[in-house]
Amino acid sequence: MNFDDKLDQTAKQLRKEISPERDLWPGIEQAIRTPQRRTPWYAQAAAVVLLVGASSGVTYLAVKDSGPVVSVAPELIFEKAAFGGEYHLGPGFQDARNSLRAQLDAELDRLSLQAQNDVHENLDVIHGAIVEINTALENEPDNVLLQQKLLHAYREELAMLRRVGGLTRNVMIRNDI
Amino acid sequence: MEALLTVTGSDYSQDMVKATHDTVADEKSWIRQAKRADAQAFEALYRLHVDKVYGLCLRMTGNVSEAEDCTQEAFILAWNKLTKFRGDSAFSTWLHRIAVNAVLGRIRKSKREHDRIQAVANTQPARVVTDDPGELRDLAEAVDRLPEGARHVFVLHAVYGYSHDETAGMLDIATGTSKAQMHRARRLLAQQLKEQGFEQ
Repeated sequence: MNFDDKLDQTAKQLRKEISPERDLWPGIEQAIRTPQRRTPWYAQAAAVVLLVGASSGVTYLAVKDSGPVVSVAPELIFEKAAFGGEYHLGPGFQDARNSLRAQLDAELDRLSLQAQNDVHENLDVIHGAIVEINTALENEPDNVLLQQKLLHAYREELAMLRRVGGLTRNVMIRNDI
Repeated sequence: MEALLTVTGSDYSQDMVKATHDTVADEKSWIRQAKRADAQAFEALYRLHVDKVYGLCLRMTGNVSEAEDCTQEAFILAWNKLTKFRGDSAFSTWLHRIAVNAVLGRIRKSKREHDRIQAVANTQPARVVTDDPGELRDLAEAVDRLPEGARHVFVLHAVYGYSHDETAGMLDIATGTSKAQMHRARRLLAQQLKEQGFEQ
């Protein structure tokens, strides 16, 4: 018998089933018993559509008005980010938003009533999406997709305020949260 | 699981056949239940297949710790993908594919594979982790020292009996590459084992 034949024969005799030295089930069980309640795909899709729609609407408003374009959402109360209960909106984000809102507050009166209503509607849509995503995150705090959506929503909020007000602050980054 | 435990009595082979049939039926039932998020049924599937999955992971990684991680990852992946299992292949084959993906995924994600090779190369003899006797142990240790690509092909093709097409599919490489890696594995194993009188 040559080497290759013996190698093949011996290889086939190697044990294929080997018991692990410890019980691996507890780790698996812990992973699979973590709440798996998924946000329905249509709810996620709706949130994305709402965000995109709101963003587009505000962009349209900013473009169509020839005069100074100003918007504000002074009454909005934003939820805390529920990133696994360990994260909160960082000071960078809070500062940026507060600054934007303060500047927009100052220019609120210069906005036409129709434009004010449109902006408020769009901000409400984004705020609603933020609340929905935060609610979903409370049940599924480790869902990376939801975390990304929430981050995206907050970014949209800042970007919208920035576009409407013509402000040029830096875009929020992941480290801000 | 109970079927496996009831194999007793004088007519062992008859009982064994019955147990095998019962196990197949149990497995199908457990799969159905696990698809409905029944963790207990999935645990039964785990108990039934863990040795096969761990064996493959251990042969492919040559490292107890990584094999344990890959096994856990494979079963977690299996749980998440279970609704996609249609029964076109045996459940064990489906699990094997997932386990191979888990091993490859871990290797891609980290550079620990490189560290492992270095650690093994610097430690003689290689750790015995499979309890293979005599000549088999020599081969197991030699396989463990093979470079990653050659080792994976050798384990899947020579040890587990997958064809080169199947091996290539599981490793996401060309069939020709699988054959070339197998040739390389034979050559490297020959260098290691002939010194130990393996061919006699």
